[in-house]
Amino acid sequence: MSRVLNYSLVAIAALLMASSASAHHSHAMFDTDKQVTLVGTVKEFEWNNPHCWIQVLVPDPKDPKAPPVEWGVEMGAPMQLIRHGWKPGSLKPGDKITVVINPLRDGRPAGQIVSAIGPDGKPIGAVPETKSK
Amino acid sequence: MIRRTIAIAALLLAGCLYFSQAQSFSNSKARAEAFAKLPDWSGLWEFDIWTDELDGQQMGPEGMSRAKVYAAEMQATFTPAWQAKLEQLKKKADAAKATDASDPPAFEEFGQFGGCGWTPGFPATMLPGTYEWRVTPEEATLISLLGSVRHIYTDGRPHPSKDELWPMSQGDSIGHWEGDTLVVDTVSIRSPVYFPGLARGVGVPFIPMSNELHSVERIRMVNHDQMQIQFTVEDPIALAKPVHVTFNWHRVKDINRMEQNADDCDDAASDRNPIVNGRYRTIVKPPPATPTGPTGR
Repeated sequence: MSRVLNYSLVAIAALLMASSASAHHSHAMFDTDKQVTLVGTVKEFEWNNPHCWIQVLVPDPKDPKAPPVEWGVEMGAPMQLIRHGWKPGSLKPGDKITVVINPLRDGRPAGQIVSAIGPDGKPIGAVPETKSK
Repeated sequence: MIRRTIAIAALLLAGCLYFSQAQSFSNSKARAEAFAKLPDWSGLWEFDIWTDELDGQQMGPEGMSRAKVYAAEMQATFTPAWQAKLEQLKKKADAAKATDASDPPAFEEFGQFGGCGWTPGFPATMLPGTYEWRVTPEEATLISLLGSVRHIYTDGRPHPSKDELWPMSQGDSIGHWEGDTLVVDTVSIRSPVYFPGLARGVGVPFIPMSNELHSVERIRMVNHDQMQIQFTVEDPIALAKPVHVTFNWHRVKDINRMEQNADDCDDAASDRNPIVNGRYRTIVKPPPATPTGPTGR
């Protein structure tokens, strides 16, 4: 028996230091192979540790009369978001927003943020290249 | 008689004050000279796998490729007895993951990972988040965004005797300076340790090690924007040979202050990833707002 356990490259990166910058919890509940685009209205923007969240009301385009579905979008910690250009006042209830997320594996309406476009049509948060190297 | 007693007491008091101030001044001068010999590690630092992290949630492609390099460097060879123990752990971890992939296990029985208020022990202290050093002649202190504080005593003291040591989350660290390099010796580290690269295939973030775990770090600032931490980790019971790995930290330039990542943990509503029955649960919809006090909390 080999003394060195077999492993996959995917597992290496995921397990080396935790794939979350906050190291607050596992992110295995999010399906990083999938992306879902949410177009809706901000219900709430929670700016607090250990994670910020955006609650978005998303109408069903096929049935505009149906009540919108509330999605939860998990983000990083406030100081991490500040580094990306987010601010506590970046969003307010009623703002139109488009958010791309990795959805939860279990199908409930939530996921982790990939990118966001604000009410002015511009991306919120800096692209990674603008960070310090 | 009373006046004479008061006068003598006043003289004695004044004398004491004078000598304590003189002593203090002398110490301040000596300390200032000692400070002047220390390197300037001020500023904020972070592990370079986070260079291109994505909105605080995931490593970017650059970070991922660096993480793979570190992981390969960290790969440990365990003693046969310890390897068998890890195989058992892997079976348990695989079973826990297979039960419900939607609610990943928090591996509480292996040493709880994460959760609101989690602070990393050694060597995790050197891994995630943003860091700030306080370097004084007596000790180097490492403060992390996640709330851990690591004391590395550099005043020449030895480790406490064995009968005064017990497994601690940060272990017991003493250090000395070799030029601009801080050499740190750490013992008495509580197991399991959050050092997943040691046994990647096991699939849990915490790895059990023996009480003989011992680490030596050589920490230096390579240039204004980069620090290097050379680890040598040995454990004669668990490891067949020592593990050597060198981490790089880079200077954080886009923020200039620290905060505590767990500082809202006293508010249950802010933790939407609670650990329930050993698994992370995701709260999709926050609970209704509760009335707040004058501070807003």
